[in-house]
Amino acid sequence: MFWIYSQRKDMLAAISPILGVGYESLLTAGGGRENCPALHDALDFEITMIKFLLMVNKQGQTRLSKYYEQVDIEKRPSLETDVVKRCLSRKKEECSFVEYKDFRLVYRQYAALFIVVGISDTENELSIYELVHNFVEVLDKYFSRVSELDIMFNLDKVHIIIDEIIQNGHIVETNKNRILAPLLALDKMAEAH
Amino acid sequence: ERLIKKELESIKEQVASPNTTMRQMKEIMVRAIYCEMLGYQASFSYIHAIKLAQQGSVLEKRVGYLAVSLFLNETDEFLLLLVNTVLKDLQSTNLIEVCMALTVVSQMFPKDMIPAILPVVEEKLTHPKEIIRRKAVLALYKFYLIAPNQVQHIHSKFRKALCDKDPGVMTASLHIYLQLIKENPESYKDLTGSMVTILRQVVGGKLPLDFNYHSVPAPWLQIQLLRILAYLGKEDQGTSEMMYDVLEESLRRAEMNHNITYAILFECVKTIYTVHPKSQLLEKAAECIGNFVLSPKINLKYLGKIPPYDHHRVSGPL
Repeated sequence: MFWIYSQRKDMLAAISPILGVGYESLLTAGGGRENCPALHDALDFEITMIKFLLMVNKQGQTRLSKYYEQVDIEKRPSLETDVVKRCLSRKKEECSFVEYKDFRLVYRQYAALFIVVGISDTENELSIYELVHNFVEVLDKYFSRVSELDIMFNLDKVHIIIDEIIQNGHIVETNKNRILAPLLALDKMAEAH
Repeated sequence: ERLIKKELESIKEQVASPNTTMRQMKEIMVRAIYCEMLGYQASFSYIHAIKLAQQGSVLEKRVGYLAVSLFLNETDEFLLLLVNTVLKDLQSTNLIEVCMALTVVSQMFPKDMIPAILPVVEEKLTHPKEIIRRKAVLALYKFYLIAPNQVQHIHSKFRKALCDKDPGVMTASLHIYLQLIKENPESYKDLTGSMVTILRQVVGGKLPLDFNYHSVPAPWLQIQLLRILAYLGKEDQGTSEMMYDVLEESLRRAEMNHNITYAILFECVKTIYTVHPKSQLLEKAAECIGNFVLSPKINLKYLGKIPPYDHHRVSGPL
């Protein structure tokens, strides 16, 4: 399964040498910005972040939602349904990245569950795509082959795990052992009581 | 929908009852989280979430903090009530409680109360346990984001974190540095050498094995470092020259056929094109992209997105 960086203006700028347009000439001839707006735009004061993380099943039922940017609680269900609809309507050959409003969606399907991450324009889609997989591997480790039911019955624990991975919309930990350490310690203490 | 309304009624009753134990309160809080997740506000439970964080045992406390982080936002007045609890937990002898307090602080904290908590968090920067140092750095990152002037005086401590022997603490400091460098690259050019060295070590496999993801050493850390280098080397030949070697090395090493290595390659190429140009490196990067673009599975829609002035050149090989 491959993907397209077609929407990435900065990637287009990177491609141009293959097409026979010199990088230097793009930047220097007649003012850099005019000839290569893509590259310059990409470097302006962009906000690179994760906006939300959703786990929604094929029927559109939200199993987990985590927002890193303020979205009114009443607006969330419709956003989530819309997002899932978009992902469900994608064909198998299409890539896992969708332009949605003024940001992007990265989605991955695991059995009947979709994990969808909303990201800003300038975030690295592939890295988020793999972050989702890393997250699922962590869940598999903790729940021994995680299922949708595990998530439903352990919502608090899944949240605690996500809290270790993403904070303020940024990736803060990806080492599986370190992600699980606080939760395992909590479990141990809870057992002792 | 009726079910949820009924559930909310039940929760409302139970949180108000004096007979509800903390253990029960924890379960109720999770149910309240569910209701809110489905779009139904349960604001009567907010104060009880804070109470749970204050009075519950360790796991209950964590759920209380979780509920608070999900229910409230930065501007909520309720958050002020949390400050005392957080302060207390930060100074607990139980490290788990210190960790969760630092986690909550990194998620949301009232700007005006930063002075009250800053010294306690600063103290944690030199804690013997790496997880506490790491979380303290992330809390300070949060403070920098919401009130940069409040943390001006501790930039030297960020440097210490950057040089911390634990890679997790070092990685945490990179969040702060990415922000600082983005805003003012000139003041941090002297860090280029350190960043290059760190990237070289990561790419060279010097980190413990559990930092690997599918045999790739700390890929997200590599991406973070590449972004930092892009900001440092932009429009600066001297600084860029310091990084050409490690950029080439990153390009070479990330040759496996896995999504995550492509993610690193993408970021690496982006950096190469951002910093002062070096022709051999540009060629290698172009070759790399060429392999992406010419992959048999590529969606030809891509061609349609090329800006108009390039269209006539596209007709050829592609």
